[in-house]
Amino acid sequence: MTATAVDDLSLTFAALADPTRRAILTRLAAGEATVGQLAEPFALTQQAISKHIKVLERAGLVSRSRAAQARPCRIEPARFDVAAEWIGQHRRAWHDRYNRLDKHLAALQADSPD
Amino acid sequence: MTQRGEFTYRRTHNASRELLFDCMTQPEHLSKFWGPDGTTTSADGITVDLRPGGAFETTMVNLADGSQYTMHAVYVAVERPAKIVWTEPDVEGGMITTITFTDIGGGRTEVVTHQTNVPDTFASPQARKGFETSLRRFDDYVAALISAG
Repeated sequence: MTATAVDDLSLTFAALADPTRRAILTRLAAGEATVGQLAEPFALTQQAISKHIKVLERAGLVSRSRAAQARPCRIEPARFDVAAEWIGQHRRAWHDRYNRLDKHLAALQADSPD
Repeated sequence: MTQRGEFTYRRTHNASRELLFDCMTQPEHLSKFWGPDGTTTSADGITVDLRPGGAFETTMVNLADGSQYTMHAVYVAVERPAKIVWTEPDVEGGMITTITFTDIGGGRTEVVTHQTNVPDTFASPQARKGFETSLRRFDDYVAALISAG
């Protein structure tokens, strides 16, 4: 992985290292919402929610429409895909490796059954 | 429960902890399964200095074009037959791999592989704690998002 890709991954994980931000993402996974709508479930000011959204925007997980006064936010699945891909890649590599280990073990046990 | 880990991979094998531990730490065994299909890893191309601070290196040769990739790792903990930990300082900002072997009876062993990336941003203990929690949940979260739509 390139240095840039690792930095992006760091931003992604940093963005997710907060329960409020994860809750915001869960809500946005269900559809667009304005900052006001996102702030409703939390005992936080819109300003505080905006700060969280900025972190999510910087990590590329959320985008905010510039057009209207209400500026709805939407989730950006691509960055999730990068981080999920990283996890998936490593899992697959180990899965395949342990498959080969099982073949090796079977060969060993066939050679010396005891 | 994972204490740390980018991901956790669990697997059960029909072999003793001792044999599995040896498979993970002896070049003659490693050469048989370590590298992906399409590569070869000869026992000569494997270095195992099985102690904390010792080198663990494997050189995989791509059969198609002869290109090579060498994994450079350093052991952090070696506890036969229960646990191996190593770190790869040069990979993705640093990666730590932990493998544990648990006897589950009937001649079978559960092998748990944890692997974590350690970005610089998370040097502080609080940041690391938040990071580890989010990593643990992120995997499930992404899976849920993917299955939801």
